[in-house]
Order: sequence, then structure tokens, then C-alpha cells
Amino acid sequence: MNPAASAEETAAASVWLKAQRPRAGRWVALAIGLEFANGLLLIAQAWFLAKTLNAVVFDDAGLSAVTHWLWAIFCLFSLRALLGWLSEQAAFEAAAQVKLHVRDRLLRHLFMLGPVKLALERSGDLTTALADGVEALEAYYARYLPAMTLMVLLPSSILVVVLPFDWLAAAIFLFTAPMIPLFMMLIGKGAERLNQRQWRRLARMAAHFLDVIQGLTTLKLFNASRREAENIARISEAYRHDTMAVLRVAFLSSLALEFFATVSIALVAVAIGFRLFWGDMDFMPAFFILLLAPEFYLPLRNMGAHYHARMEAIGAAERLVRILDIAPPSIPPGRSPVPELARSTIRYSDVSVVYPDGTRALEGIDFDIPPGERLAIVGPSGAGKTTLINLLLGFVQPDRGRVLVGDTPLDTLDPSVWREQLSWVPQRPHLYAGSVADNIRLSRPEASSADVETAARLAYASGFIERLPQGYDTQIGEGGVGLSGGQVQRIALARAFLCPAPLLLLDEPTANLDRESERLIQTALDRLADERTLVIIAHRLDTVRGADRILVVEQGCLLDRGGHDDLLDRCETYRRLVADFAGRV
Amino acid sequence: MSRLLRLLAYYRPFYAWMALGVLASTATLLANVTLMATAGWFVTSMALAGAAQASMNYFTPAAIIRGAAIVRTGGRYAERLITHQATLRLLSALRVWFYRRLEPLAPAALRDHHSADLLSRIRADIDTLDNVYLRLLVPVFSAVLVGTLLVAYLAGYGLVLAWVLFFTLIAAGAVLPWVVSKMARAPGRRKLALLTRQRAALVDSVQGMAELLVYGAAVGQAERVRQDSRELVAEQSRLAQAQGLSRAGLLWLSSFALWLMLWVAIPMVGQGTLAKPDLALLALFALAAFEAVMPLPQAFQAFGETLAAARRLFEIVDKPPVVKEPADPSPQPRHYGIRFDAVSFTYPGNAAPVLDNMALTLEQGERITIMGPSGAGKSTLVNLLVRFYDPDSGSVTLGDIPLTRFQGEDIRRYFAVVSQHTHIFTATIRDNLLLADPSASQDAIERACRVARVHDDIIAMSEGYDTWLGEAGATLSGGQARRIAIARALLKDAPMLILDEPTEGLDPITATELLDTLDQAAAGKTVILITHRRFRGGRFGEVWTFLDGALVSCSGFDE
Repeated sequence: MNPAASAEETAAASVWLKAQRPRAGRWVALAIGLEFANGLLLIAQAWFLAKTLNAVVFDDAGLSAVTHWLWAIFCLFSLRALLGWLSEQAAFEAAAQVKLHVRDRLLRHLFMLGPVKLALERSGDLTTALADGVEALEAYYARYLPAMTLMVLLPSSILVVVLPFDWLAAAIFLFTAPMIPLFMMLIGKGAERLNQRQWRRLARMAAHFLDVIQGLTTLKLFNASRREAENIARISEAYRHDTMAVLRVAFLSSLALEFFATVSIALVAVAIGFRLFWGDMDFMPAFFILLLAPEFYLPLRNMGAHYHARMEAIGAAERLVRILDIAPPSIPPGRSPVPELARSTIRYSDVSVVYPDGTRALEGIDFDIPPGERLAIVGPSGAGKTTLINLLLGFVQPDRGRVLVGDTPLDTLDPSVWREQLSWVPQRPHLYAGSVADNIRLSRPEASSADVETAARLAYASGFIERLPQGYDTQIGEGGVGLSGGQVQRIALARAFLCPAPLLLLDEPTANLDRESERLIQTALDRLADERTLVIIAHRLDTVRGADRILVVEQGCLLDRGGHDDLLDRCETYRRLVADFAGRV
Repeated sequence: MSRLLRLLAYYRPFYAWMALGVLASTATLLANVTLMATAGWFVTSMALAGAAQASMNYFTPAAIIRGAAIVRTGGRYAERLITHQATLRLLSALRVWFYRRLEPLAPAALRDHHSADLLSRIRADIDTLDNVYLRLLVPVFSAVLVGTLLVAYLAGYGLVLAWVLFFTLIAAGAVLPWVVSKMARAPGRRKLALLTRQRAALVDSVQGMAELLVYGAAVGQAERVRQDSRELVAEQSRLAQAQGLSRAGLLWLSSFALWLMLWVAIPMVGQGTLAKPDLALLALFALAAFEAVMPLPQAFQAFGETLAAARRLFEIVDKPPVVKEPADPSPQPRHYGIRFDAVSFTYPGNAAPVLDNMALTLEQGERITIMGPSGAGKSTLVNLLVRFYDPDSGSVTLGDIPLTRFQGEDIRRYFAVVSQHTHIFTATIRDNLLLADPSASQDAIERACRVARVHDDIIAMSEGYDTWLGEAGATLSGGQARRIAIARALLKDAPMLILDEPTEGLDPITATELLDTLDQAAAGKTVILITHRRFRGGRFGEVWTFLDGALVSCSGFDE
């Protein structure tokens, strides 16, 4: 369970888990049915076993007289093994259905939210939730749900069978069975809190160890690395002391469980022993009850483990629910016909955007982008340049004002149709796990190899790609060959070349590329910008010099616009920025 | 196997604890068998005595039953306490062992392991080894112990009965887990591969979301992830079938053992070689005996995981250190002049050299600025100076003494370094700073933070210098982290100061202020400033840059 989660979040997660149960279809019911049948067969098996022993002990029957019962027993336990196996498969299938559904739904939800809404989430957390978080749900549907029903069904059937034979044994069963959950709860409540604090400490200790290994170079630079070994020993020892103090209490719940289950069996054995001695009871039912006694307590004994499975699933569900609770954009995407960008002017009309934390990203922005223009946006970091582009990409919606394409407001267009007219090269493009060719093809999956190679050549990427071990088939991205920043940039440019959209949006890399990469990227860009509209967040002197028009943005406001020379004359911020560009190597 | 033995050798100080845990577990298991078997015998004897109107000593068996119930209850509690006590002791020993072995190898040994993914694998491996005792050693040793005792006890009733129990226990405890693990091997391997693939696809979906949406590839990506999930579920289903077999097989074998024993024992009753109550005793004895082998399938699985985890950790710590420490104590340099003489260096595993015949002379107190794109060799220069690596050829000297004659720790005493990837620890700001000098006074700390222009930021935080940083605490901006790292380096009052990109993430105004104060604070020190930005004013000496692995002066060059 997540220690940071509030009680409401835990309750919400629990409700959500229950709500997903229909996704498992009839599989949960099937698993319960099979396991219940298994339990009934167990009662039958005990019955035949008691009959066999009764015949041998009291009727002096030989082997031949009980052979048919022995074979019945064989059939019963073989069938039970089969039913048990089938029940587990059904339980797995139940969980699998839920996992498949939830993962798919989560991913689609994330795509609907878009990258800007998710900017506050750590990408590692999201990935972990989608991968491990969804897997952690398995125990809930495969084990906890069936076990909870069976915990009632199986002992009560045994009770019903035992009652007609011996009311005393039935009374012992009936009296002790509720004690187990009761005591586990009484002790468990306090222990659970202690336990959680302890888990948090364990997590912190593990995190400390990892932190130290990650920072080992820094520790060595300060000659502090040997000192740290004692620290690790001290922290682990302190952790052991605290933990043992907690465990002494926490294990009391298992002590209570063991006590009631075991002592009850002993009590039943002694009680029926004396009734037999006094002649109040026959041997057959007595032995039958003795065989069933451990089976009566077995489902209750396993309760602790299932409870733990539930806690883990709830912990995972808390994260998933938190993600699913992030609301997607409130305005439903429109279906207006998309104007042709090659002939339409884009207009920002009094656009304001507010960040989720309430600070202002853009304030009253007004400007046009006529078709075919080369527009550069400059400004200090945090000025709102990226938000300007995100509006066009459809990742951000204006809080006031509109972005118009021709005369059509952007938010009335279907985003996926609108984006068909865009190409985009972000500052740090993402490489996907796959071949180089797959990565370039992202923008046009049906493109031929020849098209891909042409695009790579135009982006000055073909040279280094052909030198890679398997050329265009070399695996890159997660787990593949590493590429330099400049090479990644050129692959992203190749994507843009492959998809000849009329509007190209570009966030110029600020990372220190080597001179050669920088020159090649510049030339490729010039080529790409021909005959298209180009909006570029500029970080380089050459780029602003080559632009038709430059927008200067500062603190969310459009400070000035114009050509390079004009702005140098009249805009102090622009002068400072250009001086900064020049300072870069 | 030898790996397991090597691992066990590290556990030597805890053998007594470990044995005690196994004993407690054995006692608990035996108590259960005793309880059930005695109960069967008792009930039958009482019935026979009742039917024959005979008298019988029922005190002893009733006392044994009660005693067994109490031993079982108390034993389970003791077992859990002792085994956890032992596990926690092992955990602490294991971590310290791994760290002590790793420390001399860093950072060279970790160069391939710096990604978060590999580090989390180290973490998972350590966790696996933490559980060796609970998941592997306790179940195996107590199963062997209990199994032997039970089989020996049965031999008293008849050798055939003992053999029946022996073979069914072997089948349930060894053959079945072996068969199941063989069945699970191929799907297990495919599952791991699919998990890796799925994780990569999910990372792509989350981190590359913007481009997927812009290029209309999001739907296809969701479909791909769904397909991967389906394949994963198919393999998991095969694994569940194998695991289900292990549980069903165990249940079947325990009933089968009872069944076979009845075939053997019933004729013995007729022949008078087995007392009637003992038949009931044997039936319940057989059923209860299998509790001992119940955890063995998991132990079998744990065995494979343990060996794999141990192999990966041993591989890391068994690497030879790349720097050989001299046997003699370090000499005392008479001055702090630095000279690189015809130094060439290639990182292990790389083809191209980073430094090629590089030369640099730096007098004590002199300042230089080194520029150039990443990967050109700037950080390598630092790595050689602090003896994280030694050059392949040529020499680096301090005060005209080759660095190879110094102990690594002694060399590092002379340098205060702000490296490009300086680590900020999950601890308070103060602890992070005290790393440089554990005895530094609050005054000294604040002085360093003022110079690094971060004091005002720190006192604006909720708990000032006691603010907790990292995962559970405040997160710093890139610029703040950078300045805390600078303050830390300043707190270590070393004669030489190396600043690698000190103004990264700072706005131009703060950057200029920082350089001004650094300029004053570093008076009299040797300073190496590494940067990819040009600072006007030339406060930090002559500007050099890398060209084909060697340093060339930039003075005289224009843009």
C-alpha cells in the first residue's frame, strides 16, 4: 500500500477494484464453482476413508472387502487434483481479462490527456503503473476474490455435514471459526499500522542504499566513500532493531490464528475421543469428523495471505485510479472540416493560457502566421515559447481567446485530422525501440524503403545510418544502439521530410552539438522550410537572421515582432538574447 | 552451486541463527504430524476400549495432543521471529559486503551500470539475496530434516511403509518441482523477453507521446501494446498451468501416499502385525507429513533466481580495479603544478581514443578555461586528475611526481570538483554539504553557500538547511542543485578547484554574479573551468579547446 495515500484514496481504490469485477466475466464464478466442487469431493473422500477404516477396525474386514472403497478414494482424489488445477486456470483467466482491459484503457486515457496534461507526472511512474501496477491486480482477481467466497462456502458445508453426526464438534467449529478473523482483526489493526510504517522504513533503507551506489563517484571525490560503509551498517542495524520490535507484535496475529486452528483440532479430537469411550458415538462418524477438522480451518488459515494480496492490489489500484482521475480536456473535439493550411492564415486572437498551478503562461497574444512564412520565436526560458507551439499541436487549449485556422476555430477541429497537416521536430526527439527505418517511418508508416532513404539523405542522416552495423535495420531506442544528440535530431528531421505536411513546427536544440552536426542540421532545415510554413523556437543567431519575422516573448507576453535588424535597433530584450546566442559555442 | 557455496560463506557469522530458525520450523512441522497422528490413534483406541468396555490410560495421549498443539502454536511464532531476525542480520551483512567490494571499483566498474535500469537490477538482485534464507534455506533444510525423521519413524511399523513415504516425499519434494521448473523454463524466458518488450513499448508511449500524437501513430501504438499484453498473458497462462500442476500434483501425491499405505497396512492388520489404532495413526500421519514439502516448489524457483542474482552481483564486484594503488604511502608534493605529458587514453571497450598525445602545463595558482562539445575529453581530463583512471600512455604529474605514485584518496584531497553529474543525496541540505567536510561549522557552510549564490534559496525553503532533498523531500531546480554542488566543493578547502559547467541551468544574471563571487573565492587557487559557453571578460584564464584528442589554445582565434 502506498503510505502517502489517504483513507479516501484507499476506499476509492477498493471500490474501483470491485467495479472491475464484471470484466473478469464468468471466470471468477467458474473458479469458485470448481473449487467448491473440489471441497465437496473432499468431504466424500473423507467419508469413504472413514468407512474403510471403520470396516477394517471394527468389522475385521480384509483388503478384498474394502477394495472398491479404496478405488473410489483413488478416483476422488484424482478428480480433486484435476478440479483444483482447472479452478486455478479459471482464476488466472479472470485476472488476465481484467489486466488486458485495464492496461488498454489506461494507455488510451493517457493518449487522450496528452503530454502537457501529464507534464507534472513522472514518466517513470506512469510506465511503472502501466506495467507493474496492472500486473499487481492479478492477485486480487485470481486469489483474493475466489478465496473470500470459499472462506464462507467450504467451512459452512463441512459444518452442515458434521452437525447431524455430532453437535459437540459442530459447536466447537461454530464457536472457534469466527474467533480467527476476529482476533486477526483486533491484533491486525494495530499491527497493520506498525507494519506500514515499517515498510516505509524498509523502502527508505533500500532507497538509501541505491542512492549511495548512484552517488558513489561523488562520495569518492570527497573521500567520503569508506565512511559510508559504516553508515550502511549502522542504518541496517537500526532498521533491524526497530523491525524486530514491531514484528514481535505483528506476529501475534499469526499466533492467534495458529492457536485457534490447532487447539480446536486438539479439542475436537479429545472431545470425540471421550464420547467414543462412553459409547455416545460410533467410530465411523467420529473418524470422519477428525479427518474434516483440519480442512475446516484451512481456508481460514490462508486468510492472512489473501488479505496481504488484497492490500497489494489496493496499493497498485490507488496509483491507477489517481491517473484515471486526471480529467481529459473538457471541450469535446469538434468535427468541422479542416481548412487547407497551404492557403489559410493561422491567427492567434487574444490568447491567454494559465498553468494548472494558476500562474500565467500566455497573456493576450495576438499575431498571424500567413502561409509560407518563416516565423522565429525567441525569448528567455520560461517565457511561453513552448506553450505557443503546444497550442498549435493541440496539447494545450486557450483559457481565453482563440486560435483560428482561416476562419475556423482550432478547437472545433478533430485533433487527429488537424495534425495530419503538421510536422514537428521537438528539442529532444524520442527514439522508439525499433529499427532506424521504423523510427523514420513513424510519420508515414506505409512509406517505402526508397522514400525512407530519400528522407534520410535530405536530413543528412544517411551518412551515419549507413555506417551503423545493420544500416537502416539497426535497432535503436530503448535497449538499442546509442546515438549522439545531433544524430537523433537528424532522424527526427528525416521524419519531417518523409511527411510533407504544410506546417512545420520546430524547437531548436540548445544542447551543445558538435559543429559538424549543427551545420548539417541547419542546411537540412533550410531545405525543409522551402515551400512550407515554418514556426521555429530559435536558439541560434543564424536561425533568427534567416527568418522572415521574429516574435519576442517574455513572461507570457508578446513583447515585439519584426525583422532582425529592426529588433536589434529597438528591443533591449532581443539584444540581450542575441548576445546570449552569440555566447554559445 | 559453487556460487551458492560462496554466498553461504559470507553468511558464516550467522550460522547459529540460521540453524535455530531451521530447528524451530522443524519442531513446528513435527508438532503438526504428532498432533494429527496421535489424534487418529487416540480416537480409535478410545472407540475400541469403549466398545470392549475396557479401561484405558487416556491421560498420556490427551496430554500429547494438547502438548503438540501448544508446541505447534508457539513454534510457529518462534519460527517467524527467529527467521526474520536471521534474515535482517543477513540483509545488513550483505549490503555492507557488496558496498565494500564495489567501493574500490567505482566509478570505472559502474561506467556500464550508470543507467537507472541497471541500478534497479542491482537493487532487485540484492533483494533476491536478502530472501535466500527465508525462501530457500529454511524450507529445504527443514523438509530434509522432517522427511528423514518421519521416514525413520515409519520404518518402525514396517519397511514397506517407510519406502512408500520416502518415495512419495521425494516425488513431491524433488521430482515434481523439477518437472514443473522444466515446463516453466521456456515460457518463463519468453515472459521475461515480452516484459522487456512491453516495458520498452510503454516507455515509448509515455515519453514519446507527443510525437505519436502529432504523427497520428498513437492508435497504432495502443494496438501494439495490446498485442504485446495478449502475448504476455498467453505465456503467463502457460506458467500458471505449470504452477497449477505443482499444487495439484502435491495434493494428489499426499493422498496417493495415504492410499498406498492403506494397501500395505490393511493386510498387516489382518495378519496381526499392525495394531488397529495404528492404522488410523498411519492414515493421518501420511496426510500431515506432506506439509513439510509444500514450500519446496517455490524454494526450487528461488534457487534458480538466487543463482542468477548472485552471478550478476559477483560479476560486478569481481572485476579487477582499473587503477592500481601503489604499495608505498603517497609522497608529499612540493608544489601543486600540474602537467599532462603526451597523454593518450581510451575508455575500456571503446575503439576511438578520447585523449591522443595531449599536453598541458598548469602552474600552481594558474587558471584556464576549457571549451568544447560533450564527448571531446573534458570530463576525461578530470577523471585522470583524480585518478579514477590512469592514462594508457604518457604521464600526469602533480608537483613533478607522477600521479601513479599517489594513493587515490590522497590525490583527491588536493582537488575540489564540481563534476557534470554531481550527485545530490536523499538527505538534508546540510548533510549534503557536510559530505565535503564533516566538521564544518554552520558559519563555514553559510559562507560557502553565499559564494555559490544559493544561501538565499536555502533559507527561503521551509526548513532551511535542514530541508530534506530527494524523493521524499523538496526537489531542487537544476540551477539550485548545481549551486549546492558548488557550495559543497567550496566547503572542501582544496588547493585546486575544477568546475565542470558551473552555470548550467542558471539565468544569465545569476550566472554572471556567481562567476564574480567564484572569482574572488578562488583567489590563489588553481582553477580549471570547463564549459561550452563563452564567458566574456576572460576571468578564468586562457581558453583552450579540444582538437582530435589534444588541447589547443583558442587565443587568437575569433568566432
